[in-house]
Amino acid sequence: MSRVARFLTRTAGNPDKAERFGIGDFLAYGYLVLGVLIILVPVFWTFLSSIKPERAVDSFDTRLMPYSQITAEVEGEGIKTVWHYMAEDGTVTDVFKAGPTRSMTEVAPLDDPQAVIEVERTRLEPAEEIRVATENYLDPLLKRNGQENFTFDIYLFNSVFVTVVATAITLIINAMAAFALAKYRFIGRLTFTILIVATLLIPSSIILVSLFFVVWSFGIFGSLWGVIIPAAATPTGVFLLRQYMLTIPDELLEAARMDAASEWRIFWRIVLPLSLPALSVLAILSVIWRWNDFLWPLIVLISDPTKHTIQLGLTQFAGEFDTNFHYILAMTVVSLIPITLVFVWLQRFITTGIATTGLK
Amino acid sequence: MSLAGILMSLIGLFWIGGGTIWLFSKRRYRLRQIPQFLGDLVGFPVELAQSIWGRGGVPYALLLPNMAIFGLFTFAPMILNFYVSMTGGSSIALFDRPWVGGANYAEIFDCDVSIFEPKSCSNAGYNFWTGMFNTLWFVVIQVPVLCVAALLTALVVNRNIKGRGFWRAMFFYPVMLSPVVIANIWNWVLHRKGALNEAIGTTSEALSAMAGASGFDIVVSVIMGVILLLVSERALRASGDGPSLGWTGVFGLLLALLVTWANPTSIVGLPGSFWLGCALGLALYWIVATGQSFARAAIIGAGILSVVLLLTIQFDAVFDFGRYRPVNWLVTPNTGWPFFWLVFVFCWSHMGFYMLILLAGLQAIPNDLYEAAKMDATKPFRAFWRITLPLVMPTLTVVIVLSLIRSFQIFDEVYLLTGGGPGRETFMVVQNIYEVAFTNNNPAYGQAAAGSVLMAVVIAVFTFFQLWITRRQSEF
Repeated sequence: MSRVARFLTRTAGNPDKAERFGIGDFLAYGYLVLGVLIILVPVFWTFLSSIKPERAVDSFDTRLMPYSQITAEVEGEGIKTVWHYMAEDGTVTDVFKAGPTRSMTEVAPLDDPQAVIEVERTRLEPAEEIRVATENYLDPLLKRNGQENFTFDIYLFNSVFVTVVATAITLIINAMAAFALAKYRFIGRLTFTILIVATLLIPSSIILVSLFFVVWSFGIFGSLWGVIIPAAATPTGVFLLRQYMLTIPDELLEAARMDAASEWRIFWRIVLPLSLPALSVLAILSVIWRWNDFLWPLIVLISDPTKHTIQLGLTQFAGEFDTNFHYILAMTVVSLIPITLVFVWLQRFITTGIATTGLK
Repeated sequence: MSLAGILMSLIGLFWIGGGTIWLFSKRRYRLRQIPQFLGDLVGFPVELAQSIWGRGGVPYALLLPNMAIFGLFTFAPMILNFYVSMTGGSSIALFDRPWVGGANYAEIFDCDVSIFEPKSCSNAGYNFWTGMFNTLWFVVIQVPVLCVAALLTALVVNRNIKGRGFWRAMFFYPVMLSPVVIANIWNWVLHRKGALNEAIGTTSEALSAMAGASGFDIVVSVIMGVILLLVSERALRASGDGPSLGWTGVFGLLLALLVTWANPTSIVGLPGSFWLGCALGLALYWIVATGQSFARAAIIGAGILSVVLLLTIQFDAVFDFGRYRPVNWLVTPNTGWPFFWLVFVFCWSHMGFYMLILLAGLQAIPNDLYEAAKMDATKPFRAFWRITLPLVMPTLTVVIVLSLIRSFQIFDEVYLLTGGGPGRETFMVVQNIYEVAFTNNNPAYGQAAAGSVLMAVVIAVFTFFQLWITRRQSEF
């Protein structure tokens, strides 16, 4: 409590020129807390909903905890859902419905299935327990209960393949181009730089149709390479790495040349290891882009279900909207987990990296 | 075997086979030097270039793969777009497509009245122009909202606050999420029986119940009076010269709220109390922020005005919301809600990125300037207007251009959230291109390419216009 009090009345700035923790600070924290709530509440709500049983999801149960109705095995009747019946005198008995639900419903106590009585429907309340509905996750992941079409392992493999291969290619060829632009003087350097800037200003969605023609005539349409190759060269990556490589002193390169190292070896053994910080920022960015990419994979890969990435697989689910909301939510959370883990682990790199490059 | 297959296998054969022979003819590798050998093998073409043309050939060899991909998959499609847009038919083979000249464009521009009334156009024209004007609307609303929100957040995070890294990271988190995940999350929240409607319903019911209690009016009036007194006293008592800016802001907000509730314009039978209140609150804030000599008098006057308003407000009527009827946020036509939520979700998911860029721009402003301004007793508002804004302007321009290009291309979120509906209210131009080219049974690639060319023209015009405006501004 005292810590809270100290926090609320703390001073801004150093103690020498201390100012009161003023209204400006309160407003700032209020704004920040509100913003973070707006960002996190929908995500948390999705997670909380994803562990609710199907019936609760379908009936839009807005309670926080995952309640599900208790079922019990009744002798001679099979498995029945359990209801609490409150009699006029206030006693509560566990019953199951023995007939259709009407304003007067036939119910029978669990321990005496033959003693059917007629009660008012309003006196019945579902008997509930808190249970995490793991089946929302396990059914699609293990292909049970009619979820054979959701081939999570294939989607995951495709997504990981695209992400890893594309990131590797992006890193190598962008670093090569950046090295050339940063450390060599040659005719056409300015032209190449301007060309790369120009690609930054060409939005990918206006070349959609003709890119489709190009990719199709190369014969990589419908394969994962059709997603990997076209976006492997990124202007952002070239600039980010070039800016960083400019800070590497030329003397290092000269010293290596004195020792008769080939230009490629200088690049591979000296420049690449030295630009590791910039490379890691680009790697993270590339992973995010590729993992989240949607429109281009949708065009290239949609016709072949064995080539779908996780993002495409998720939309397949959304096609059967009304029946499978609980699976959609669970799989949304599953696809959210890796990116969230990466984020929690590397957020300092990511935020400072983007702030220093200022490009996307 | 496809063209690319043959090409790839030839290159691979040359690279791996030729490279191995070449490398072994020049150097000796021991067994534990395998990684080194592989590294050399990757760069074999570069080494080859160096041995043929000397060091002058190396940069070109280094640039080759990157520029080849740019050339083939960015510049070539850019040019090809013009060609495809002048051909018809639904063949995928480029040379199989009949030349139709400007027919695709003519069809898009084939309107009885003008393109500003898409309903009078041909089918293709109707779809394209509906999408285009929706997108323009979206951009015109989205870009200012996004930039103001990002700048505000960056300013707040740039303050001397605890846990800056945490806040910065939290605001950036949605940028990491994929459009599919974002759409699923918001679909779930905005469903007719979803969490948002439930929250609003519960709150309004609770408030209505409270408002129904006897004495509610008096209690709330007294509480509001006390709050007003405290806030105005705080604002006036601030140390230094002039009232406190932060407290004045709070006071302005309260004033706006009171004016909205008291609804004084209804006496003369006009709507717009809300805007009147906002204008009054902002005016008060402006007077104090710019350090006018009558700032204290203005606050006292506003205090008297608010007390008068307070006495006229019937709080039990204000808080009686009646029964809340859940809104189907993403589906109800002619309400503007689907569009609103699109803007909101887009902001939600992209604001953090632009905030980071602006934050970097803010942190690059030297602190001496603010200290000098403080020596001259400059008001914070004036310091923002005269120091922060001009110096962050270059970064802000980058942010505006980037967000403009980004908002023009909006597709994923819309397609997954509303699918362009209800009707055609949120139908965007990229979705039109996508549907014309890829989801039709009879794909009209030429039509879609013509649409892309027109869209590129609009984006280019917008970008240059925007750059031109900011260029003029930075000259002052």
